[in-house]
Amino acid sequence: MGEHETHGIFENIFDGLLGKDIYFWNFIILMIFTLFEVAAVFFTGIPLKVVWAILIGVGIVKGYGISAYFMHLKGDPRIYTRTALFPVVFVLLMLWGIGLSNPEGVTGLPSWCTPLSADYATNR
Amino acid sequence: MSSKEAHVENSLWMRAVLMGGTFLVIGVLAFASMGVGMANMKHHEYEEAIHHYDDAKHDYEQAKANNASADEISQLKAVKEEAHHHEVDAHLSYLTWRTAGITILLICVTYASFIGLGGFLNSIQPDEDDSHGSSSYGGDDHEHHGSGSPIIFALGIMLFLMGFPAFQETLSDMLSGDEAALGGLGLSMFGLFVIVAGVANWWREDLPFIGNSEQIATSAPFEGQHIRKAGLWVFIMSEIMVFATFFSSYLRMRTEWCTGWQVEAGGCEEVNMLTASDFLRPDGAELGGLGGQGDFMTLLPGAINTFALIISSYTIVLALKTAKAKDWKAPTGFMGKLMPTKKAAVRNYLIATLLLGSMFIVLKLIEWSHLVAEGFTIGTQAGSIFYISTGAHGLHVFIGLLVMLYLVFKADTVEFNEDNAQGIEYFGLYWHFVDLAWVVIFPAFYLY
Repeated sequence: MGEHETHGIFENIFDGLLGKDIYFWNFIILMIFTLFEVAAVFFTGIPLKVVWAILIGVGIVKGYGISAYFMHLKGDPRIYTRTALFPVVFVLLMLWGIGLSNPEGVTGLPSWCTPLSADYATNR
Repeated sequence: MSSKEAHVENSLWMRAVLMGGTFLVIGVLAFASMGVGMANMKHHEYEEAIHHYDDAKHDYEQAKANNASADEISQLKAVKEEAHHHEVDAHLSYLTWRTAGITILLICVTYASFIGLGGFLNSIQPDEDDSHGSSSYGGDDHEHHGSGSPIIFALGIMLFLMGFPAFQETLSDMLSGDEAALGGLGLSMFGLFVIVAGVANWWREDLPFIGNSEQIATSAPFEGQHIRKAGLWVFIMSEIMVFATFFSSYLRMRTEWCTGWQVEAGGCEEVNMLTASDFLRPDGAELGGLGGQGDFMTLLPGAINTFALIISSYTIVLALKTAKAKDWKAPTGFMGKLMPTKKAAVRNYLIATLLLGSMFIVLKLIEWSHLVAEGFTIGTQAGSIFYISTGAHGLHVFIGLLVMLYLVFKADTVEFNEDNAQGIEYFGLYWHFVDLAWVVIFPAFYLY
């Protein structure tokens, strides 16, 4: 995080806009997206799938904004990004292998979630 | 690179003792005004609301027993329901003030213990002879002596956890008014003291550091990078794993439950589990008379906390940016009065971060007290994973706040500048990670 310079579409548009730096605009965007997130759940009547999409979409945008700009993964050497992404392999394995492997859960999941067949989870 | 080190008199640490005393005063005042004054007033209102509800219920049942007209019964039923809502609101309002007062007191006592006691332990140390010149901090031109503080800290944690079962049992007895064996607190309290001593020693070693010396990694994969920064990223990597275990547990449980969301999506027919979001969202599911009463006000603490963490992420970025600025100019107007010098600006941005983080903890405990009062307890499956996951996150925030206390102290005494701002930068990485974890926890546990 901090003082390094980064270059990209987002930086070209926002860095220096109205005299404010990239961190300020990142902060504003994070605040606006948080507003969307809370509003999506608060306003009843929005279809469930839309709320889902909003929550996931907002999460991705916010996660990117914080890690790329506030944690400065975008300007730092790639080794830090690789370090941050390294546990993702284990996280995915854990979510898939443990999270989606409960006996009742798998019967209601699409087949791509249980490629090792139902035996994997249900006949333990 | 050579390291620079300020000569720091140990008496300087007396300012930390004063900081600790200030926190104690703030804690006691907040507890007296919120936890006692306002809470007792609200409790009185709550008792009145209970009486009104009992009266309304009695009138309604009486009318039914006396075969009163349908209009009269429906009117009395409406009065009874309104009285019930009023009773619930009064109860939650009382809990808000009581929890806020107690939480602020406990937070301030912990702050005072760390910064005050730590400062006192350092202030009574004999001053070191600094005639050997430059630092033993770890500069490349000197042999690195390392630090024993992490070992002392780890020993303290071990002692605390060894004594924790008896500690928890004694506290439980004390809170329930039973006779408590105070000896049960001993080992854990000693562990806490060792933790504070370890942290204080750590701070003492770091405080004089004002140079730009950083140990550089000499082998792959971090060759050429600052060792402390690489170490912090490896630490964050391990933290991602910790939170992943919570999420995989949650996912496993969640796929087994028939929640309101599942019913709406056509995945099952009858709700068999209430999640936190059912107590918070306006259209949350109901089960056994619980849940389904959420509104914006019940969701508000979580929403405010989300904004508070993002703002605190930005204030720490501003603290770093200010510390690293070579040609910093004081702002004009009101902000200029708040930040007349660079030193004051860095310190005040850090104080703002500390306040926002502290507010996060207070609001979280208020929200928990409301959820427990509404029937969402740790005794249920959904409650256990919710409180453990959000509690683990809250603990991370709180540990960050204890580190922030020291950063505020250093900013106020030795000061941060372009040469030694790494302390803020590396702590900032941790703080942003805590924010990042919340980005996932908030929608997954509060909204979904």
